[in-house]
Amino acid sequence: MAYSDKVIEHYEHPLNVGTLDKEDPTVGTGLVGAPACGDVMRLQIKVNPETNVVEDAKFKTFGCGSAIASSSLVTEWVKGKTIDEAMALKNSQIVEELNLPPVKIHCSVLAEDAIKSAIADFRKKQEERKAQASGVAGSTAAQPSVQPQK
Amino acid sequence: MDPFATLGLVPRFDLDQGELESRYRELQKALHPDKHTGAPASQRRMTLNKAVEVNEAYRTLRDDIKRAQALLALHGNAQASGEREVADPELLMEVMELREALGEAKVRRDLTEVKALAARVDALRAGVRSGLVAAFAALPASAAAAQLSPLAAQVSRLKYYQRFLDEVSAIEDEAEAS
Repeated sequence: MAYSDKVIEHYEHPLNVGTLDKEDPTVGTGLVGAPACGDVMRLQIKVNPETNVVEDAKFKTFGCGSAIASSSLVTEWVKGKTIDEAMALKNSQIVEELNLPPVKIHCSVLAEDAIKSAIADFRKKQEERKAQASGVAGSTAAQPSVQPQK
Repeated sequence: MDPFATLGLVPRFDLDQGELESRYRELQKALHPDKHTGAPASQRRMTLNKAVEVNEAYRTLRDDIKRAQALLALHGNAQASGEREVADPELLMEVMELREALGEAKVRRDLTEVKALAARVDALRAGVRSGLVAAFAALPASAAAAQLSPLAAQVSRLKYYQRFLDEVSAIEDEAEAS
């Protein structure tokens, strides 16, 4: 089975491979796996908490060319988008863009799951921060703030 | 298709590989086209189909993961391979870390580290495998879905480890070739 040119391009020159600090409260991490083939994919986004715009996205995927291409494409797509826009991303868009054959559709599903779970992780972190900021527990006041230092 | 029935074996995970091997050879011999040259075409076709079925059943039962899946299917847990299952986050984290370590060892061409990681994963795999042997042996014939899902989860775990070890083989082949 032949890979499409776009898959090969992303596979040979994947964009945004790397890692963001998963402890950073503005970073959302999505870790997903495909039990059918044993592939794993980690997709991370760094979001501006004021505007909810994705400022950076990184991924690391251990899997076939289509899985790598799907995650590379998703990181490229979500940059500059709001998390609500990113949440609306559908695996069918990945299939179309990369021309994935039916046997590789699950790779695009994996990438969709990964971005959604990264967004969910970011939202959860933000909610936890809000809950903390509103002073639910007084005893945590002595703890140092966890602002990312950059 | 029940591969155990095809080969006339009692369904079990802890299958005697010698018994599987000899049953397979027996059937292949009996179904060999050379033995059926005088038979009518329709019967020869049936024999051929049966031989293909026997081959498939043998390949399924020889493989730990496929054999476990076949057993789960016999118990009514016919999870299609493409179906989405929610993976255990801890398992994914563990696999991701192992794959990253392997990727780094590959870049550094550190074959000692590759072998050490392979040994670690092989031990993890052996642990899951023996757990499955016990779990399948203890499984009642009419197991409920709730009893099957932890086994299915362990089979998934085996797949991630297998995929890791396949990658190790690929790295080692590449190192030998260069």
